[in-house]
Amino acid sequence: MSKFSDIKKDFPIFERDINGKKLTYLDSGATSQKPNSVIDKMNDIYKFNNANVHRGTYVLSSETTSEYESVRYKLQSFLNASESDEIIFTKGTTEALNFLANSIANKFMGEGDEIILSEIEHHANIIPWQMVAEKYKLTINYVKVNDDFSLDLDDLSSKLSSKTKVVSIVGESNLSGMLPDIKEINNLVRSNSDALLIIDGAQLVPHRKVDVQDLGIDFLVFSGHKMLGPTGIGVVWGKKELLNSLDPVYGGGDMIEEVHYDKATWAPVPHKFEAGTPPYVEAIGLGAAVDYLENLGMSEVEKHSDELREYGRKVLLDIDGVNVIHAEQDIAGCTFGMYVDGVHAADLSLMLDTHGVAVRAGHHCVQPFHRKLGIDATIRSTAYIYNDKEDIDTLKSALISSVEILR
Amino acid sequence: MSIREKVDEYKKILDIFPNDQEKYQYLIEKAKENDSFPLELRLDNFKVNGCQSQVWLVPEEKDEKLFFNSDSDALIAKGLVTLIASIYSDEKAEDIVSSEIDLMEEFELGVILSPARRNGAYSMLKTIKEYAKNLVS
Repeated sequence: MSKFSDIKKDFPIFERDINGKKLTYLDSGATSQKPNSVIDKMNDIYKFNNANVHRGTYVLSSETTSEYESVRYKLQSFLNASESDEIIFTKGTTEALNFLANSIANKFMGEGDEIILSEIEHHANIIPWQMVAEKYKLTINYVKVNDDFSLDLDDLSSKLSSKTKVVSIVGESNLSGMLPDIKEINNLVRSNSDALLIIDGAQLVPHRKVDVQDLGIDFLVFSGHKMLGPTGIGVVWGKKELLNSLDPVYGGGDMIEEVHYDKATWAPVPHKFEAGTPPYVEAIGLGAAVDYLENLGMSEVEKHSDELREYGRKVLLDIDGVNVIHAEQDIAGCTFGMYVDGVHAADLSLMLDTHGVAVRAGHHCVQPFHRKLGIDATIRSTAYIYNDKEDIDTLKSALISSVEILR
Repeated sequence: MSIREKVDEYKKILDIFPNDQEKYQYLIEKAKENDSFPLELRLDNFKVNGCQSQVWLVPEEKDEKLFFNSDSDALIAKGLVTLIASIYSDEKAEDIVSSEIDLMEEFELGVILSPARRNGAYSMLKTIKEYAKNLVS
């Protein structure tokens, strides 16, 4: 029996019904559901161990601190990072990108320097760069997306130059499921510039094995809540020497070595980037999520995602009247953007909800790309480990009946 | 019919439908019946903020009474705003201001009309009340 056939049992949310129907949750691109092991772990910390980390020399604080720090080791191994100190905890991908944008621009960039993003970035990988670009007089260039939703790597090559200081690209598109060839991007960046390469792994890390050393990139950012963990916790992985050279963006407790009235010196990485009380219970929850995924095996998680994608391609691509936005490459995520001519995405998602089907409606924080496609809004189905073929079938039949009513 | 009577009337109708799906279908029918909103009035100054779909609300004063014409680019939202507009139309501004009916509590309309969803219908009700309040003062 497959590891995935009985998996819904681990997720208490699937015990409830929605509008009298079984829950078909296909919005994991927005956030994932949580297994009992994550919920229980966090409850246990609050019930039995809770004390602030790095502060007290007493049993509770020491227990919580070692639980918290052990998550860095789990993530080091999960990402094949060379050191656990390369793991910085943040609130999520958005904070991670804001931190990197500010810290990198402050340290390495000046007037006329360039940042390269792609046309299909999530707002979190656009707006922080726009903000620093305005402050430091930088230019942002966007790599084109081809009609098959792949990145135009020739366009990337032509845009790279000695002026390029940062390339920040999505690791898996939250709209089309497109998986860019990160190694190829890395090669292009290295041979045409001295830029730092950041990968936005918010959608990638939950679904696929990521080996940061093998990819050769400089930074990876992702969120805990999209990979079975709690909200309020995310990660920046960065190469140690780069993290050493960057300055902190936030100041406060726990990130210092010595404080005087007129100056302070920073603690070594990772602590210099983690000012104040960190979300340690959330980090420990993320550790439990990593354990859960490692227990399944990321190669199995990938295989499951590929199977659902293939099944999605089989049943979702030829529904009468439904247009699909989905990467056309062989390997992609199991994410399907959909729209129906003459039908509003909000209506469609409300009708799907009456079937117990939860999908996202709107522009999914990818407004510029929706504008490029000439579409106001789409609905989006994103599957994860607890979804099965039956969920995709339910989506299909709910879509057909909803479209019939709405057209 | 007073605001109260109209609300009771709609409650009776909505109660007939056993689930959200059929209630939404009723709203879709209402939306399709409302074809009186001129496209040229889909102007930004008539837009109701905070809706996932676009909603327009045009107030008009006639014979000391208020009338509301409404539109949306989404069908279910349009049905809902049509229903709300008809409740508060053909009413005196002071009656609208003094009405303490909470539509969020009166109608069971699933996620589209829940107090937690502080957008769409909520903004529309606020706009209607504010318009009436300005007229009264």
